[in-house]
Amino acid sequence: MSAIHLSNEEFQKLLQEKKPVLVDYWAPWCGYCRRIAPAYDRIAQEYSQRLLVAKVNIDEEPQLAHAEQIEVIPTLILYKDGKAADFLVAPESQAAIAQFIEKNL
Amino acid sequence: MSHPVYDMVILGGGPGGYTAALYAARAGMRVVLIEKLSAGGQMALTEQIDNYPGFPEGIDGYVLSENMQKQAERFGAETAYAQVLRVDLQAEPKVIETTDGIFYGKTVAVATGAGPKELELPSEKALVNRGVAYCAACDGMFYRGKTVVVVGGGNSAAADALLLSRIAEKVILVHRRDTLRATKVYHQMLQKVQNVEFRWNSKVTELLHQQKLTGVRLTDVLTGEESQLDCDGLFVSIGRKPATELFSGQLDLDNGGYVIAGEDTQTNIPGVYAVGDVRSKPIRQIVTAVADGAMAAHMAEAFLSN
Repeated sequence: MSAIHLSNEEFQKLLQEKKPVLVDYWAPWCGYCRRIAPAYDRIAQEYSQRLLVAKVNIDEEPQLAHAEQIEVIPTLILYKDGKAADFLVAPESQAAIAQFIEKNL
Repeated sequence: MSHPVYDMVILGGGPGGYTAALYAARAGMRVVLIEKLSAGGQMALTEQIDNYPGFPEGIDGYVLSENMQKQAERFGAETAYAQVLRVDLQAEPKVIETTDGIFYGKTVAVATGAGPKELELPSEKALVNRGVAYCAACDGMFYRGKTVVVVGGGNSAAADALLLSRIAEKVILVHRRDTLRATKVYHQMLQKVQNVEFRWNSKVTELLHQQKLTGVRLTDVLTGEESQLDCDGLFVSIGRKPATELFSGQLDLDNGGYVIAGEDTQTNIPGVYAVGDVRSKPIRQIVTAVADGAMAAHMAEAFLSN
């Protein structure tokens, strides 16, 4: 399963879930966002049991991006119990994303 | 996790790597390509590629990357998404330790590429494509009528400043010495251009930004005095850096850190080939990388049949 694309409403709902939520804030014009996308989808598959893996297009959800204080993209935020627990900016490898998750789960 | 012994292990999924994979797979070799993120390398970040033959309207580098991967995989090449941690290229078979276990290869193609040298300032990575750029020929056109800063003093910095002077309203060349290292021809050409200014003996010490780059902080290397410079773009042109740290002490590298190998891509270790930008060569282009890929697969095939 690939990462799910979220609207602001869906995001708020997803945060109520028991499982931790990983969100990739991205935009179509961001070249590096595109490069990490296939790796991110593989992460979504690999961690589907332990984690909800989602994406937010900040052009479509500017309010959410503002509320979450996204200044640069790609930024990954891991939410636990509905709160941001840690973030990762522009990871350089798929392994770096996996390490970030392992560190926080 | 244990993996089988492959005929060829390819390190890096750029155009050179996937071409080696394509040719090796089509020659009937068992091939795995190890890539840390996603296909394409530097090429995947280039939106419009106009100098790869066969695409008269140009092609999106990301799409070209995906296509090269699909084409190699159609013939049975595998891709492993992992970061290489350590290698032993002298061993038989050769050992590639990764975040996804150990891979063994009878031959290895090193196609790890090269990238622009970075300033290594905070937020620099995050500002790429948002004001910070490393290739004037690629990204210059986004700065039509704007103010840009070029950092560097060599031929490529001078060439970038000249190219940008025809696009941008104003170009400010920042260099840490009081004269350019670039050849005389460039000095003369730059002197003639109206809209290029120079900031000598200066270093960029901070990137000023909100969502995008808004300016840079400069520090005078002689006096330590700081100043601020508003700009829309910053082109970093301080040289390139091959991804060869993992191989130092095993492969012979030149002064720039590139793997020493001729047009036949053979390195100092039998069965190890240097492919694409990582190899010491006069011109680093997608077309020269794919040529190396085909060559390496051919050399490996010959090596294996002996």
